[in-house]
Amino acid sequence: MTTVVDGVFTLSQADKQERLLPELARLTEHHRRNGEAYARILSATGHGPDRDYRSVADLPWLPVRLFKTQVLKSIPDESVFKVLTSSGTTGDVSRIFLDKEAAAAQTRMLSRTIQAAIGRQRLPMLIADTPAVIKDRKSFSARGAGVLGMMNFGRDHVWALDPQEKPDVEAIKGFLAKHGGQPFLIFGFTFMVWLYLYEVAREHKLDLSNGVLIHSGGWKKLIDQSVDNAAFRQAFANHTGLTRIHNFYGMVEQIGVVYLEGPQGNSLYCPDFADVIIRDPETWQELPPGKPGLVEVVSTLPESYPGHALLTEDLGVVHGIDDGDWPGKRFSILGRLPRAEARGCSDTFSGGQA
Amino acid sequence: MKLKARFPQGPDCTVDDLLADVTREPEGGRLVVGDERVRDFLASFSRRLLRPETARRFPELGSLGFFLRRGEIAKAIERLHDGASGNRYLPRGLVLHFPPANVDTIFVYSWALSALSGNANIVRVSNRSAGAAETVIDALNATLAEAHPAIAQTQRMVGYERDDAVTAALSLACDLRVIWGGDRSVTDIRRHPLAPLSRDLTFPDRSSFAAVAVDAWHEASAEAKRRAVDGFANDVYWFDQAACSSPRVLFWVGASVGAELAREEFMGLLGDAVAARGWRVDAAMAVEKHVATYGLAAEGAATRVRFAGNAVAEVELAEPVRMQRDWLGAGTICHATVGSLAELVPLVRRKDQTFSQFGFTAAQLDEFVTALAGRGVDRIVPFGSALTFASVWDGFDLLREFTRQTTIWPG
Repeated sequence: MTTVVDGVFTLSQADKQERLLPELARLTEHHRRNGEAYARILSATGHGPDRDYRSVADLPWLPVRLFKTQVLKSIPDESVFKVLTSSGTTGDVSRIFLDKEAAAAQTRMLSRTIQAAIGRQRLPMLIADTPAVIKDRKSFSARGAGVLGMMNFGRDHVWALDPQEKPDVEAIKGFLAKHGGQPFLIFGFTFMVWLYLYEVAREHKLDLSNGVLIHSGGWKKLIDQSVDNAAFRQAFANHTGLTRIHNFYGMVEQIGVVYLEGPQGNSLYCPDFADVIIRDPETWQELPPGKPGLVEVVSTLPESYPGHALLTEDLGVVHGIDDGDWPGKRFSILGRLPRAEARGCSDTFSGGQA
Repeated sequence: MKLKARFPQGPDCTVDDLLADVTREPEGGRLVVGDERVRDFLASFSRRLLRPETARRFPELGSLGFFLRRGEIAKAIERLHDGASGNRYLPRGLVLHFPPANVDTIFVYSWALSALSGNANIVRVSNRSAGAAETVIDALNATLAEAHPAIAQTQRMVGYERDDAVTAALSLACDLRVIWGGDRSVTDIRRHPLAPLSRDLTFPDRSSFAAVAVDAWHEASAEAKRRAVDGFANDVYWFDQAACSSPRVLFWVGASVGAELAREEFMGLLGDAVAARGWRVDAAMAVEKHVATYGLAAEGAATRVRFAGNAVAEVELAEPVRMQRDWLGAGTICHATVGSLAELVPLVRRKDQTFSQFGFTAAQLDEFVTALAGRGVDRIVPFGSALTFASVWDGFDLLREFTRQTTIWPG
């Protein structure tokens, strides 16, 4: 297990609450003053400037999909340095506006979080993807952007798939022959790692025991094969010797935050500047550990857009508080809410009249 | 490309065979307006829909069964006044129907009135149809056993996967093409030309609103208020408030103080009505409503957004009031207060279809229609009737649309 000096998984839940609450309340005021659309939402939903917040769960949240339908930013147009986008399944896209400081903070905090898993050195890196995903830098997908972001944490990169998206067994074998004797980094989207790297490693009896795997992207594509996180870890351990596996959860709307799976696996942890709140989708109250609900994510990083408290469309559950590998809440993502559909008529629903 | 014969159920057929069959003169002669063979068929179909086990499972099929009862059908035909003052009504010929994918029963109304007008009909039904639509097709097939053979020959419901060649061939062959189901479907199907003498009857996207006369509300009995709220609840919650006739904005017409009180009382009763029926919205719909209403607030179109549980969301529209036509999720009511119906006139567009109302007099409504001067609104109905289908729809008297007129001037 990596020892974390200067780490970001250090605060107990009580300390975190104490630190996050004033900071998040400040951000609420900051975004109110600097973003008209956000100010209107607060005003319409009864969150006046004089309201006093006793806990993080009391703070107003925005539904994360609002970033797909509205321009929400707290910086003037001339300060926009970077616009992050995410493509959704329905084709609409979130737009997240960053100024220079926000972009720098994003990179800095992301590094510190990832270092909790891999240490401070750049390790040789095996990527469970094809170089084709980053080929066209002007138009690469969310997958390409994710790969590119993670490449900064490794060196001597080798792709596990060839440009035709076929497993490149020789390349993987070559990488392991050269670097397999010391710690190395593996990164990929969960389903790619499973479908390509795991299957290939198992078939060719490859030894991945010095690897640290970081993966993300969700389990949806693996559910059909009855592979959940525990099965995934077990299979890698049994057949490839790989045991240092960190899944993570994050979204473009919450810059610089990754919720990282702890060393023992099966739980995600929140970095010190972020937290999750599981809400009952009927009462919107916070749910205690063990009760699944909708995931709200909070973070003190977003200064340039009002993304410090977001209600996601993911279902999750908190397993415990201050009782795991790292302090704070440990939780899992259980799946995604389906998109609401109506029976009636409009172009959106290709329906008809009644 | 073969078409799936859903009604009458049978082997897959080609477009050519289908067209040759339906246009052949049937046994007993060509169909006429109000044809007895069709009346008999619709009457026994109606009885089948009104069977308790069917009507209980799909209330909308109960309404359909009621609409198609022999007496109702007779009244509809009488309204044509066929033969009066030298005006005769004749079938158009072959009518092609493209019903919407998601509303299960509308295609039956459209088809039944066209059949009653003496037309041969081809209805494209969704291959994915389920629930009520499936039950309808089963009931139609079951009714066929005792029906005149002319019905099976001239009335067809077919399924086919999206195929331009089939749509084009059917379009060229028909005398009237009926397109339901949104702007995009209408535009898409209209790419296919019709024969020179043929025409389209289209039912594109529409939106609807409601209003309460504040004074009348305060004067109404508790029972009348409760009935109005129950009706409004049906108008809003059936079809997830996404039907063209589902109201989106609720206008309070009168002095603002009285309006405030009326609204409070009304919304209290609505909350009770929704709770009493056990109507809920799921988490996905609740999120949808938050995204939509917060979006309105962000845009400055709403000054207040309030959720009384997930089932009922209230939005206060900003002044000056703009009509809110977008779907905001099931059970989202946008309020606005105006001094008089006249103030609504400039807000109305051609797209606005149904105006559901409580408490206005016939004279006030008539005056409103005069003031609208054709800007929009096709029907004005009391609360509870927004979704009730009528043979005059979207401003068209369907029996007239499904027939053509021959005038006789003896000289």
